[in-house]
Order: sequence, then structure tokens, then C-alpha cells
Amino acid sequence: MKTLILSVVLLLFGSTISTLSAQTIGLELGNKSPEIKLFTLKGDAVALSSLKGKLVLIDFWATWCSPCVEEQTELAGLYLKYKQSAFTNGQGFEIYGVSLDAKKSNWENFVTTNKINWIQVSDLKFWRSPVARTYNIQGLPFNVLIDGNGIILAKNLHGIDLNKEIARFLRK
Amino acid sequence: MNSKILVFLFFTIATSVFATEQVSAQGQNDPWTPQQLLAPADLAKALNNPKSPQPIVYSIGMQAVIKGSIDIGPVMMPENLNTLKQKLGKLPKNAPVVVYCGCCPFSRCPNVRPAMKLLKEMQFTNYKLLNLPQNVKVDWIDKGYPMAE
Repeated sequence: MKTLILSVVLLLFGSTISTLSAQTIGLELGNKSPEIKLFTLKGDAVALSSLKGKLVLIDFWATWCSPCVEEQTELAGLYLKYKQSAFTNGQGFEIYGVSLDAKKSNWENFVTTNKINWIQVSDLKFWRSPVARTYNIQGLPFNVLIDGNGIILAKNLHGIDLNKEIARFLRK
Repeated sequence: MNSKILVFLFFTIATSVFATEQVSAQGQNDPWTPQQLLAPADLAKALNNPKSPQPIVYSIGMQAVIKGSIDIGPVMMPENLNTLKQKLGKLPKNAPVVVYCGCCPFSRCPNVRPAMKLLKEMQFTNYKLLNLPQNVKVDWIDKGYPMAE
């Protein structure tokens, strides 16, 4: 009987800790990603939380960052490949591109010329953007992969590693 | 005899490779000397003390984020480099000039080299490159140094 009570207590305790951990807003794996609400090229505010239910890659980039620019082609491939996919904790794949550009013309020209068709937002504040501080970005490119509940699954993966990580969450 | 030649060749090649790496690490091709790198803490100290001699600080990158700095724009673009040239042309050659970009590490920055090359060509004698090894966020903003309004 004592063993049963102890097991129930431990189970409840573990469950509570797990829930608390998932609810913690932070930057560690398993934390809930901090909210971002920035503006598209048309001036519409798009919140990260509005993508709830999808697997989302938050891509921090800028047109002045060469590796970021080079990576956009790879991201286009991932977007096409996984956009309609079903994941273990998310239906569909979205990219939430956060530009740390300072000049709208640079950002707009690149997005238009390269026909980037995923969500693009910015506050055009360069490194002064509050999201750079919120996400403790030390350099670009930087990205965060979150599940349908906004829980951080991976950070700063690129190339094959990023592709593998997304594929790992495909529903079988 | 053959083994001696092999050992000699090995050391010659190894020394050559080592020397090449040293050159790369020291950035000897960069148009500035280690003495021309200005520590952010030193600039912040000067900016925080109005009684201290104030250098003329130019932002030659994406945005002027440092207090009192003059926004030139990315000098990788010829028109911005020309703007910098015109502004410098109005200064005495011994004016204390500081330039900074801060987009990314110097190895990837497209702006610091054209600016420092121009200062050298114009024969300025007292110019510095603000040493932002990572970027202006990590090496300036996050440290709480004075910011532009």
C-alpha cells in the first residue's frame, strides 16, 4: 500500500515538474519560446504564437550577413519539402524569418528578387532589435526550431543537421 | 642520405605551412595594424566623459548605434565610400577618427577594409578601427556602452 501511495505521489510530482518545465518561457531545449510580434513588408503584425499547431523554424537573418543569404536557398528547399508534412507535434511546417536588417529597401529587394514565400518580419532595428536580446543572439545566422506548442526542439542547426532534425519529428 | 633529404623536406614544408597559418591568424593583409584597433571600453570611456577629447566616430556599416556617431552607411557601396571620402576631406589629417561597422566578425565584414584603406590612402595619421570582434550587439550594446538616441 505504501509503495502504491509513493508511486502515485512520484507520478504526480513528475507530471507537475514536466508541465512546469514546458511552460517555462526561455531559450533552453524544452522551454516555451519567447513570443515575437513583428511586421511584414506590408506592415501587418504577425505573432509567432499565431503559428501554433505547426512545426516552425524561427530564422534570424539579414541581407548583410553572407552566410544567412547563402542559407536562404536551403531554407527554400526545406520549406517546399516539409510545408505540408505531418509531425509528431505539429501539422505542417512554417518558417518565421526575422530580419535584422536596418533598411527596408535591402530587405524588400532580397525577399522579392529571391521570391521568398514564407513569413518575413522585421522591426528594421538591426542589432538594436529587442528580439536579438530576447533570444540572446550572439551572431547570425541563428535559428530555433519549435513544435506546435512553441516548445524549443533544437537551436542553431544548419545544412544537413537541420534537415535531419526536422525529419526526426515526422509522423510515421 | 635519402632519409636526410626526406627529413629536410618535411621540416621545410612544415615550417612553410606554419608560417602561412601565422600570416592568416595575424591578418597581415588587413589594412590596419594591431595598434590601430581601439578597445570598445576606451571609446565608451571617452564618450562618457565630455571633458575628454572626443574622436570623430563614423558608422561605416548598417546603422549608427553608437552615441554621437555619424551614419555613413555601408561603405562597401561606392556611393557611401564617396560620402566618407568627402567628409574626411574636410578634416585635418591629424584628426582623431574612429570607424566601426559591427555587422559581424572582421573576417566576414565587407565594410571595414574599404574604410581603413581609404583613411590610409588619404594619409590620415590618427585613425582607429573600433575593435568589435563579434558584432556591435555583443561587443557594445550588451555591455551597456553609450548608444545613439
